[in-house]
Amino acid sequence: MTTEKRSSSSSQSDAPGADLKSERDEFLKKFSRGSQLTEEFIKDHERLQARLQDLETENAGLRAKVGADQAVRELLLKIDTLESEKSELVSRYRQAEAATSEFTARVQEVESEFANLANLFVASNQLHSSLSARGVTRRIKEVLAQLVGAERYAVYLVNPEGEELVPIASEGVPGNNLLPIRINGSRIGEVHKSGVARVAESDPSLGTLEDPPAVIPLSVDDRVVGTIAIFSTLAQKNKFDTVDFELFKLLGQHAAQALVAASLFAQAERKLPGLEAFLDLSV
Amino acid sequence: MAEYSCLIVEDSPMMRQLLVFALARVRNLRVTEADDGVDGLRKLASARYDIIVTDINMPIMDGLKLVKRVRSDPVHKDTPIVIITTEGSQEDRQRALQLGANAYITKPIQAPQVIATVKELLKIE
Repeated sequence: MTTEKRSSSSSQSDAPGADLKSERDEFLKKFSRGSQLTEEFIKDHERLQARLQDLETENAGLRAKVGADQAVRELLLKIDTLESEKSELVSRYRQAEAATSEFTARVQEVESEFANLANLFVASNQLHSSLSARGVTRRIKEVLAQLVGAERYAVYLVNPEGEELVPIASEGVPGNNLLPIRINGSRIGEVHKSGVARVAESDPSLGTLEDPPAVIPLSVDDRVVGTIAIFSTLAQKNKFDTVDFELFKLLGQHAAQALVAASLFAQAERKLPGLEAFLDLSV
Repeated sequence: MAEYSCLIVEDSPMMRQLLVFALARVRNLRVTEADDGVDGLRKLASARYDIIVTDINMPIMDGLKLVKRVRSDPVHKDTPIVIITTEGSQEDRQRALQLGANAYITKPIQAPQVIATVKELLKIE
């Protein structure tokens, strides 16, 4: 009762009015709400800060990764450049290699041509280096044996009647086989008549007296005056090469001429013709 | 660049001429010619040669005898010798090689083969 009284007396004296109370409550509510919001803001702020830190860390990581990717990209680019340079170098190397091998082949070809020309020069030089029939004959035999590689062969000249080929020199042919040959009806005679060399494609080392692998007509001023018959070659000479055909041509054109010149020189008793023989040449 | 000297021993003037032509293609090779084995020995006694190219079949002294003599000569006992032979048989080659020849070439000779053999024995590029 006392309390109530005191309370009631107090409420009557100090207690705010109902409006104030309501305002205070309202304020307190608002304050409390503000405080709650502030706390929420602080929490949000802290959360956002943490998130920012995470993002910054993530960003730094990504930056590093991008940097590394860039380096990889640069390396890949460099590899591509190097690969292309390598391909170009390989291609240039192959071109150079092809050029070198072409050059080597050309050099070999030139060397071979040179060797052939040397053979022809030496043969021609030798054929015309003698003015005795014996010397010329010896040189014809040398060309046949040393340059062509003939093992068995004979040199024939036509008789004055033009019916027979008479052997004037030979090698490796037995004497009884060295008889004059009728021009008509013999292989060697056929070549003499036609004026065209006959060279077999088969292995010349296996040739026989009956079937000579090479028969070459000998001409003087377009007249066939004899033939050379190669009956067989050395065992190691199993085919005729380009140079042999050239040598056959050379022998066909020069051997008889050299023989005739030597014979005429002998007939003239080895006297050289006087200057008058050359003065009326109208050249 | 080193200069080499070669002695050709061959009785046939035609073959000598051909060998001289062929060996003229070898750079820095000086070539001397001899008519037969005796002439060859005479030339070997008066000068030093780096290589000898000799025929087998020659009058007076053949190539095999020459090889024998060269191998007993203190100056040329190690000089490379190339034998040129008409014979293609294995026996002849063996005989020449047993006597001390370093290489052989069978006739008819091919200049590129002569050049290659000489270059190989002289170790020239």
